[in-house]
Amino acid sequence: MVDEKELRDVVKKTISRDDVKYVVGYEKGTYGFQATPCFAYKPEDAEKFIFSPLCVHNLTVFPMLEEKPPLRKGEEPDTRKIGVVVKGCDSRAIVQILQEKGLERDKVVIIGIPCSGVIDPKKIEAKFPGHIKKVEVNDEDDKFAVTVDGKTQKIPKDELMPEKCKTCEYPNPVLYDILIGKEIKSKKKEDYKKVNAFEKKSMKEKWDYWEKQFEKCIRCYACRNACPLCYCKECMVDQLNPQWVRRSVNLSENTAWNLLRAFHLAGRCIGCEQCERACPMGIPLMKLNKKIEKEIKEMFEYEAGISAEEKPLLAMFKPDDPEEFIL
Amino acid sequence: MKEKFEPNIIGFLCNWCSYAGADLAGTSRIQYPPNLKAIRVMCSGRVNPIFVINALQQGADGVLIGGCHPGDCHYERGNYLARRRMAVLKKLLEHTGIDPNRVRMTWVSAAEGNKFAEVVKEVTEDIRKLGPMQHFKRENKW
Ligand code: SF4
Ligand code: SF4
Ligand code: SF4
Repeated sequence: MVDEKELRDVVKKTISRDDVKYVVGYEKGTYGFQATPCFAYKPEDAEKFIFSPLCVHNLTVFPMLEEKPPLRKGEEPDTRKIGVVVKGCDSRAIVQILQEKGLERDKVVIIGIPCSGVIDPKKIEAKFPGHIKKVEVNDEDDKFAVTVDGKTQKIPKDELMPEKCKTCEYPNPVLYDILIGKEIKSKKKEDYKKVNAFEKKSMKEKWDYWEKQFEKCIRCYACRNACPLCYCKECMVDQLNPQWVRRSVNLSENTAWNLLRAFHLAGRCIGCEQCERACPMGIPLMKLNKKIEKEIKEMFEYEAGISAEEKPLLAMFKPDDPEEFIL
Repeated sequence: MKEKFEPNIIGFLCNWCSYAGADLAGTSRIQYPPNLKAIRVMCSGRVNPIFVINALQQGADGVLIGGCHPGDCHYERGNYLARRRMAVLKKLLEHTGIDPNRVRMTWVSAAEGNKFAEVVKEVTEDIRKLGPMQHFKRENKW
């Protein structure tokens, strides 16, 4: 359990600094099971900050959303930092962005929280359908204590956790300025069970599966917007000249979009599962991301979001990279 | 009568090696299948996977990327970078049920007219076996 008082104190202290613009963290949601992102611009705002297994968002998207409007004459650029509350997986997104030089290290204050697993909003909504009020969830070792309308139920974590938490290798932030509480130990290991099982299918079975999935896509780009690593100024699907991917919603363009999105995250995706969480059509985007993650681990011994000093995967090479496919 | 399937293959050939290799095959009058439509790029490292996906959308049954042999790249590292990219792309295609053999890569130097012809033959035959690419062809209905 995270000491929320400690968190609030840290947020208060951080926002009181002159060189911090705002701190982004979590507050209680207005209804249902989700906590929402919230912002502290002044020390009083820190009071609403919470941390619970309902804090699913990856808040590292926010520093990337900062607008930099053109300056008026004599105006100084705003060089203040942004404070971000991060869990283990979230922190890897910052590391990856730093590696790509999308952000400078001194532009963020990272408030790290060792995390023992969050709740998958879709799973808990399925368990308590239509529920909208007064929900509390606490972390109790291998169970979540879910309090709905004053009644508490203990539910095994595995039933409610998203896939990423079940195999989380980095529960502690890999990079932080301030750590709330103590680091936790975890023996979880990513074994790519699901990827391996899917690989066994035949080509036809695989395409039949994905055809159905890609057909569902409505091209809302929620997956892109929720992803901390999708911060291109102009996304390739928005480009008009040349227009590689058309805007029409059909199997052809949807497939191109989904394949290219997955490819653009190759060696960059840190597996925070925000894309899949955000997708309104329930397309299993992590199945693509995880496959790539597994392959690059095998082929290039590379893992995204671990070291900010390493070079980006696709911007470097080794002379002896695999090339058995080359004629 | 059903027409025999003739694969439509797009070749992205690098200016310095593979394209020159293709040229040599031509000037040496070496026969190779006419299924390959060559597009000259300055370097195999220029080939963005978006080109490959786009080609497959627009009716290509296969794509061949040709670059210089490792170490010979005119820009020193372009072909190495392309190799990594295509390795990942092929794995992704395979996972979605699109035969990765539709996307091929080769090293052909400017002196290897023969090799170029052999590669085009092999790729054409392989893709002929795979049949037309129908997974996500773009429909041009206006
Ligand atoms: S692609 Fe999905 S899992 Fe990967 S970093 Fe982006 S949001 Fe997270
Ligand atoms: S999908 Fe690609 S181009 Fe679009 S924002 Fe993501 S990384 Fe950038
Ligand atoms: S969030 Fe889902 S439906 Fe929307 S564009 Fe992404 S994959 Fe398609």
